Amino acid sequence: MATKKKRRKTGISTKKRRRHVRRHWGRWLGVGGVLLTLVIGAYALHLSKTVRVKFEGKRWAVPAQIYARPLELFVGAPISADQLEAELRFLGYRHVGEVFAPGQWSRKSGRFVVHTRPFSFWDGPQPPAVVSIDLDRTGVARMRNRDSGRALDLYRLEPGIVGSIYPAHREDRVLVQRADLPDHLVKGLLAVEDRRFFDHAGVDLRGIARALRANLAAGKAVQGGSTLTQQLVKNFLLSPERSLTRKFNEALMALIVESRYDKDEILEAYANEIFLGQDGERAIHGFGLGAYFYFNRPLTELELHETALLVGLVKGASFYNPRRHPQRALDRRNLVIDQMERQGMIEAAEASAARSADLGVTARGAAHSHRVPAFVDLVRRQLRRDYREEDLTSEGLRIFSTLDPWIQRRAEESVRGRLQRLERDRNLPANSLQAALVVASAQQAEIQALVGGRDNRFAGFNRALDAIRPIGSLVKPAVYLAALTQPGRFTLSTRIEDAPVDLSLPNGQRWRPRNYDRELHGIVALHDALARSLNLATVHLGLAVGLDGVIDQLQALGVAREVPAYPSLLLGALSLSPLEVTQLYQGLASGGFHSPLRAIREVLDAEQTPLQRYPLTVRKAADPGAVFLLTRNLVEVVERGTGAGLTRFLPNDLKVAGKTGTTNDLRDSWFAGYAADRVAVVWVGRDDNASTGLTGATGALPVWGELMASIDSTPLRLNPPAGVAYQWIDAAGRLAADHCQGAVAYPFIVGSEPSERSDCIEQRGLGGFFRGLFD
Amino acid sequence: MLSPRNRLLLLTFAVPVVLTGLAGCGAVPRADRPAAVESRGSEVPPPPPEPTGGQTQISAYTPPAAPRYARPAPARAVKVLQQRADDQQRAGEYANASASLERALRIAPDDPALWHQLAGVRLEERRYAMATELAEKSNSLADPADRALRRANWGLIAKAREALGDSAGAREARRFAANP
Repeated sequence: MATKKKRRKTGISTKKRRRHVRRHWGRWLGVGGVLLTLVIGAYALHLSKTVRVKFEGKRWAVPAQIYARPLELFVGAPISADQLEAELRFLGYRHVGEVFAPGQWSRKSGRFVVHTRPFSFWDGPQPPAVVSIDLDRTGVARMRNRDSGRALDLYRLEPGIVGSIYPAHREDRVLVQRADLPDHLVKGLLAVEDRRFFDHAGVDLRGIARALRANLAAGKAVQGGSTLTQQLVKNFLLSPERSLTRKFNEALMALIVESRYDKDEILEAYANEIFLGQDGERAIHGFGLGAYFYFNRPLTELELHETALLVGLVKGASFYNPRRHPQRALDRRNLVIDQMERQGMIEAAEASAARSADLGVTARGAAHSHRVPAFVDLVRRQLRRDYREEDLTSEGLRIFSTLDPWIQRRAEESVRGRLQRLERDRNLPANSLQAALVVASAQQAEIQALVGGRDNRFAGFNRALDAIRPIGSLVKPAVYLAALTQPGRFTLSTRIEDAPVDLSLPNGQRWRPRNYDRELHGIVALHDALARSLNLATVHLGLAVGLDGVIDQLQALGVAREVPAYPSLLLGALSLSPLEVTQLYQGLASGGFHSPLRAIREVLDAEQTPLQRYPLTVRKAADPGAVFLLTRNLVEVVERGTGAGLTRFLPNDLKVAGKTGTTNDLRDSWFAGYAADRVAVVWVGRDDNASTGLTGATGALPVWGELMASIDSTPLRLNPPAGVAYQWIDAAGRLAADHCQGAVAYPFIVGSEPSERSDCIEQRGLGGFFRGLFD
Repeated sequence: MLSPRNRLLLLTFAVPVVLTGLAGCGAVPRADRPAAVESRGSEVPPPPPEPTGGQTQISAYTPPAAPRYARPAPARAVKVLQQRADDQQRAGEYANASASLERALRIAPDDPALWHQLAGVRLEERRYAMATELAEKSNSLADPADRALRRANWGLIAKAREALGDSAGAREARRFAANP
């Protein structure tokens, strides 16, 4: 107990004094001694309370850890060897000749053998296993559990960590328990920091004496006499100022801590508290996170030479920073190994093997590049709806997100590479362009990648969420969808007029929009007007549908902002963030079913108890038949309309739908589009909102094209849903047949086909039923 | 009771039918609250069966003796997850069942049978509005010739509408179910 220690301490001081004072002072001294005892006692009691509060309450604010999606392996999964390797490296698995422990993998041509780590998923723990995965050109061909010999139908790799939500003081840590501390870590720590840790009572007088001797002999401070307990108290409980009072407090509190808690508890606290490095604004605390930060592996997997490095960092994480001062760090590490050997903790052979090992620290880039601040920003915002900020930063929640690190990396590369090229090719000032990109799964609306700017490594202005820009022609699909939802009035072959528009606005001004090419195109087919993004035809169509109908359609597709009810809305006088545009297009990509975009799948607490799941929800936002017609039309956009530039990027068999968007004075360049399984939106512009000189087709489209070419997407199949059928249409919009010259098959809501027949039908009769034609 | 093997076969062949049947049990009308979040409380799920093991002996898919339309067989991984979801649903573990189905949907996002099965889970959970939306989604993805699935979806929608007190809507859905 605290009082016991205190008594011992005061006892020593009274004894000392007694030798030096004369007898007649004795009584006064006795009174003084009692008073001093009382004062120190009261003070110790106060400190004791502080210790208890700090130690037994929530010791650390443990940041929420955000995981990427787990890579789902199954027979038929379209995963390349490159992708699997990238994933394993991301997870910090080590490439070895033969696997013998969790966290290792080997590869012999197309066969990977992975010894997985145990992992607790939302739906329960998954034990470690040795899994062999055979890849062929199309993906996973075979999987087998090597222990049981059984074929595996599916297997999840553990997900990697892509970020954490740390509190304002920016301390990040991954908690470890005493049992997780490798034996050689503890030995090393004791060897260099506190030899008599298991024997002393918090303060080590012999240690102090030894340090004093060593420092005197060396003429400078080479050894510290602080015990681990004192160091812990110093970091954990006290302010950083250096003074005698503080030293006294430190010693007293160390004694209190030792009297209340056992050595293992103190060691565990120390292992979680210790400062081990700085990652930008993030402070790396504890050996648990230190292991990830320096080696990208869990602490339990580290070897002697690696834990020795971590132990060496205790003395000065910045001075011995192995990435900045590798030689210094190596010397320090070897000194730790020497000490362990000298004190008989390890064998000579073991020590020399460890000394000859490389530092083995991952490049900062390796660990750092998996952090995605822009996406974490989104996760944090979504979590804030359900959790208090302090819970996010302190409760050690485990957040299972939807991020696909492979797609994320490709997205970042596309943005970075293409913007550089655009600036170079067009003689734009370097770094003048900015961009944002969002990728989501079409049907389930899970955000797979999010790029908030060209340097996505650093948290900053998150353009994907916060750049609210006019969307220009990206609004047009909603106008055409609103029209096609009335099959009695509008079909893809309906003739509309591309004629001048001259409207007076409520503010008295006149609105006279023009086409991008400043021409008038006369009577055009509806599908052609969208494919060529004709402004005037679109305005006439939108006014015929009615602004209310267009606004209703936008809102049904998930536009939550107030939509201005002006005719200029029809040409995109509506400002949205790239994320909001992604939401709008998700409804189209999923065939007319709106699902709120999600960045989070599940949340577990620190004890692996499932807290929440964010389930898939859908709401019908448009007639699926009409959405099918629109999608067919948006395929035309990229095949022969304003998005035709995509053919330079995409393989022939990847059928996609998309739309370009350009705003006044070429300030914003947009491209939004989708394949069967994925929707992606790119914005390119400048932070100062000046003109970029780029249209949607020249700025955002190449970024989109490069991204979609680099990730595996499923082509649109354009199989019409029930109630929709293809019909041959001639150039004049009349019903035709497959033998008619220039006839093209367009889908129609059954019953809305044109009744007027092409001349060629009268000669040879009507063609067949065209379903399945576009398989 | 069916043997596990037979149950599996039955499920493989007739997921929609089985689920529609299930969906009818004990559905008491109650206001459907669209919950954006599923709370699991503090109950920890039992460890799932290792995703390997006994589930690999599924018999090869042979189309049922249904007339004309044969739904393409799902990937084995999808079948395993469908089976797991079905077990979880039977055990009343709806959050786990939907998690398994969402996992299957990540593999096969346009498989209408999966959307139908998810609709069945929501129906049993008495989340009727969501069950209806999911069944409509299934219908929008179903091959126009897949009458069995469309019938099952309309049947499910009819039950959900009934439970919501929309008897006219339920009648209409039953009419579609009769002639999908």
